[in-house]
Parts: sequence; structure tokens; C-alpha cells
Amino acid sequence: MKAVIWMIVGGLANVGLVLLVAPLAQGVLRKVTARIQSRQGPPLLQPYFDLLKLLGKEDIESGESPGMQRFAAYLSLAAILAVACLVPMGFSAPMNGAGDVILLIYLLTLCGICTLLAGLAAGSTYSLVGISREMMSMIVLEPLFAIALVVGALHAQSFRLNEVLSGSVYAVAGTPYSGLIMLVVMVLSFQAFVQRVPFDISEAETELMEGPLVEYSGPKLALFKYAHMAKLIIYSALFVTLFVPWGSGLFLPLAWLLFWAKVFVLVLLVTVVAATHARYRIDQAIRFFAGLVGVSFVALILASYGH
Amino acid sequence: MSLLSKLGETLVCLKAGRVTLPYPAEAKPLPEKFRGRPIFDATKCIGCAGCANNCPAREILVYDVCQEIRILKYLGRHCAYCGRCADVCPEKAITMSQEFENGTNQIGDIQQRLELFMSTCQRCGRCFKEPSVLEQLKMKGYRFDDLENERWIFRSQATLKGEPVVEDLKIELD
Amino acid sequence: MLKNLCQKMFGRSLWVYHANSGGCNGCDIEVLNALTPYYDVERFGIKLVGSPRHADVMLCQGPAMRSTGQALKRAYDAMPAPKLVFAIGSCACGGGLWFDSYSVIGPVEKIIPVSYYIPGCPPRPEAIIYGVAVALGLVDKKTAPVTFKELELPIPQYHPGDLRGEGELVIYEKAEKV
Repeated sequence: MKAVIWMIVGGLANVGLVLLVAPLAQGVLRKVTARIQSRQGPPLLQPYFDLLKLLGKEDIESGESPGMQRFAAYLSLAAILAVACLVPMGFSAPMNGAGDVILLIYLLTLCGICTLLAGLAAGSTYSLVGISREMMSMIVLEPLFAIALVVGALHAQSFRLNEVLSGSVYAVAGTPYSGLIMLVVMVLSFQAFVQRVPFDISEAETELMEGPLVEYSGPKLALFKYAHMAKLIIYSALFVTLFVPWGSGLFLPLAWLLFWAKVFVLVLLVTVVAATHARYRIDQAIRFFAGLVGVSFVALILASYGH
Repeated sequence: MSLLSKLGETLVCLKAGRVTLPYPAEAKPLPEKFRGRPIFDATKCIGCAGCANNCPAREILVYDVCQEIRILKYLGRHCAYCGRCADVCPEKAITMSQEFENGTNQIGDIQQRLELFMSTCQRCGRCFKEPSVLEQLKMKGYRFDDLENERWIFRSQATLKGEPVVEDLKIELD
Repeated sequence: MLKNLCQKMFGRSLWVYHANSGGCNGCDIEVLNALTPYYDVERFGIKLVGSPRHADVMLCQGPAMRSTGQALKRAYDAMPAPKLVFAIGSCACGGGLWFDSYSVIGPVEKIIPVSYYIPGCPPRPEAIIYGVAVALGLVDKKTAPVTFKELELPIPQYHPGDLRGEGELVIYEKAEKV
């Protein structure tokens, strides 16, 4: 009984926190980008205003199948919030007993599938090109994250969330070679997971008129933008719990604050990289990630031998 | 490594601080010969319509009510702020002011209308006869531009009849 | 309730779509200047978006031409309500120097309803920001129609002491303006 209550309360707390903090992280990103570009920039609470304004606009039914468009919009936000229930954010994961690492991998892939559904439902040329690029990058990106989690699972000898998502990549006797290799690989490809420059090839770009989102307006666009902002927080949380776990053993409020401080530092790093780089072409990006996939296979082999 | 060079780039940009001008709180001083909105000084205007004849956008309309009263109307709709009217005016009645903050929700806000008394010649009380045939060709006589519809009326037959030069376009939607 | 919130937040986050229907690109450059760090309209929450379906405000430049009139109407219809249209530059406000040319339909308001006009050729970035501020209600507009009427007909006054000559030729010496 207590476990069920903890699941519900923890899940709601996680979801509520992600919903509250995600636009703030985006606001920090925009403000720091503006300061790097030597200009004043929007106020910190600007994404909140944007989302509130978008929610009240007229909902235009456009594109080939409006029902599928609405479904894709709901599914994107729902998938990312479901991942929020599975991530330990300072305390142990709420849905620890209800899911494991394999479920996490599939839910994260589902977020990419939502973009595919959105683009197909719109049916315009721009969105079809956008989703083809998104699918190409997903094919090379999802293995990277899956291999990182599997390396952790191999070291922790289990697939449970609490055990894998607590720095298990380093849990070997001796130097954790596979853990360090995966750390470098994830750092290099982190921008692509959160869909920011230099790797935001499919969405939110001026080359493709915002790609799959071109036919969205009003409330459905608000849901997609919310999901985009939430992805930054969720992936930062996953990165922090997997690779930078030191300090999570302290007593609860301090561990929680330390966790959010680490996430904030990661958001700042994402901002600095996003503000100073240009966007890669799709073929350059695929070559880059293919190289990283090769390196991560080396790490997987090392992990299976216990290094 | 490229990441270090990017971090160095960030530090260089941050050193520049904030270059944003705090407009509309403060305004930067304008260059000297900046051409803003033209202002018509009616006390100096003699109603020669030199500005109307020289405007490349046909912005200034002239209407003669009778021998003595002439109405000049500056529309402000498609003025290109070129300054030719100010160059040509013999009395320097037009100044290109430095006002550029002309945003408004009604385009009729920018118009200026002058109703002038045209005095007659002091010697004989009539309009004088022009000295040569060339000058005769250049005289325009009475001007009767359309002030309500804000259009010039040309002297040729084609427009007096009211026929448009191109046929009307219909905007089709699918 | 959501619509009320949207009305309140409308002034704080305007998403702008930029539509040039046949202009010379002078006003385009001034609009893009307004987005650079020097004039920075993003501090008001204004963002440039790539699709009219995402936008609240359409910035129109250039007169409506025969070839682009239909495209302009379709872009306007694609925007979700509530929406505004700003006509930037003399071409969009009144048709420009070539308002009665063979290829120009006229000003943009012959095709779509315009909310705010920002004249100029091209308008300075400060003028564009001022026009946006007038639209948001931050400042008052500075123009009003002006009419000058000479109320009394000035009658020339001749003083007999200033008249010279005899017979038929009479010269008035003091030629002051009447």
C-alpha cells in the first residue's frame, strides 16, 4: 500500500516539477544565448508567456488528417511526462517497481515516433523532409543511449531503474574504461538528444520552416513546444543520474538540491554549445554519429568482459 | 580542440557586454541631413504647385475651387521621403523634418491639407499671359485632382473617361 | 478562460511572420536589422517564425502585385486568430512610388485588412520598433491630420502715398506680400 502511495505521490511530484521547470530552463537558455550574442534578450519567464498565449489561440484544422495531428500532439507530451515518472530526480524513481530500463528506452524512442506521426499527419513537403531527417538521425542516435544504459546494466547486473541510474557505469573494480568511453560519447552527442543546435536537424529550424511542425497552430503547437522544453530537463536528469551520480547518497533535501544544481550546470553547457555553433548538415551529422556508434560498441565489448 | 576555441569565442563576445540601444527609452541622435516626414508651412506657401508637379509618387494633390482658392493635399500614403518637394519649393515652405516615428493605425493620420488664397496679379487683376509658346504648353491651368478618392486626374482623355488602363484583377481562392 | 489568458499574454509574446509580396527588399533589411543585437526586439518577446500557422503578426512589405496577391491572401488565411497585420514601408501602406503600375494591384490593404501602418522608405528600425510599441499600447502615436485654412481673405491695402506715377501708368512702390 505504501509503495502504491509513494508511486502516485512521487510520480505527480516528478511530473509537476518537470512541467514547472521546463519553460524556466528554456528561458535561461534564451537569455544566456542573448547575452553571448551581446544583446539584452527576452525576460526569463518568456516561455511561460509564449505557452499561455499559444494555448488560447484558435485551433485551425489543417493538414491531411487532423485527428492524427491531435493524437501526435497529445502523445508527445504524454510520452515525455511518462519518462519523468521513471527517472530518479534526487530521490528514488517513483515507478521503480512498474518499469525497468528497457521500458525507458522504448518510451524515449516513442518521443521520436511522435515527431514522425506529426509530420506524416501534416503531409506537406516540408514536414516530410523533416521527418525523413529525423528518422535518419534517430536510427543512429537511439543505439548510443541504449548502449549507455546497457553498459550500466551489465555492471549493475540488473535492469532495475534505481540500480542502473545511479552511476552504475563506473561500478567496476579498477578503471572503468567502458564508463569513461560512454561518458565521452554521451557528452559529444548530448546536443542531438535534446534537439538543439548543432544537431536540431529536424525541428525548429529556418531551413525547413520548422519541419514537421509546419502545419501546427495554437494549442497543439503549445504541446509540442512543451515536449521540446521538457526533453531538455529529462535528458539532463538522465545524464546526471547515469554519469554524475556523486552526492546522491546524502540525506534527502540536500541530494535533491544538488541534483537540480547539476542539471542547471548541464543546461548552461548546452546553451553555450548551442550559441556558438552552426547547424550541421544531415550527412555530416550521420557520419559523426556513426563514428560514435562504432566507439560505443567497443565500450560494450569491454563492459561485457568486466572492464 | 574546437570546443576550446568556441569557449574562447564566448568569452570574447561576453566582454563586449550589451550593445542593445534602450530604445524607446532613449533615442540615438540622428544624422544631420536625415529626411523624415515633410512638414508644409502654410504661411510661406504661395500655391505654385511646384511640389505637386515634381513629386515622383504623385503624393500631393491640387484642387482649384475657384480663381482665388486652391487646396493642396499631402497624402502621406506612398510618400518615399525623397525630398524633391523641399528642393523645388521657391519659398522654402517645405522642410524635411527629423520625425520618423510615424506608426499609426489609420493611414489618414499623416495627411496635411492646405487651403490657400491665391491673390491676383497686382497690376491688372488677372492671370498674366505667358511669354512664349513653350511656357504656354507648360501651363496647367485649373487643377482638379480628386481629393476624396485621393487620385490625380490627368489631362488626357483616357483617364477622364474613367476607364482603367489594365482590366480589374480578381483574386481567386481555391 | 484560456482565451482571456491569451489576450493578456498577447502583448508580451508576439510571434512574427515576415511576408514580402514584391518589394525591393529595403524594408526587409530594416526589419531584419530590428532583430539584430543593436536594436533587439526580442527583449519585447517578439520572435521570428517560419510558418504563418505559428505566427500572430504578419509583417507585410512591398505592394501587392498581380503575381503574389493570391499567395498573400492564403498566408493571411493560414494564420490563427487573434492576428494582426503590420504594413511596413510606403509600398505596403499606399502602393509606393508605383501604385498605379501595370503589375501592382495596390497597397496591401486591398487584399488583407491592415491593423497598423509604419510608413517610411525604408522606415528606420527605430521607426519599426516605435510602430510595434504603438500597437502594444506602450506609447502614443505622434501623427494627426493637419488642416490649414486661411480664414479671412486678405484684401490688399494700398496707401495713396506709396503710389507713384501719373496718367495710365501707376506703380505701387511697396510690394509687400498680401
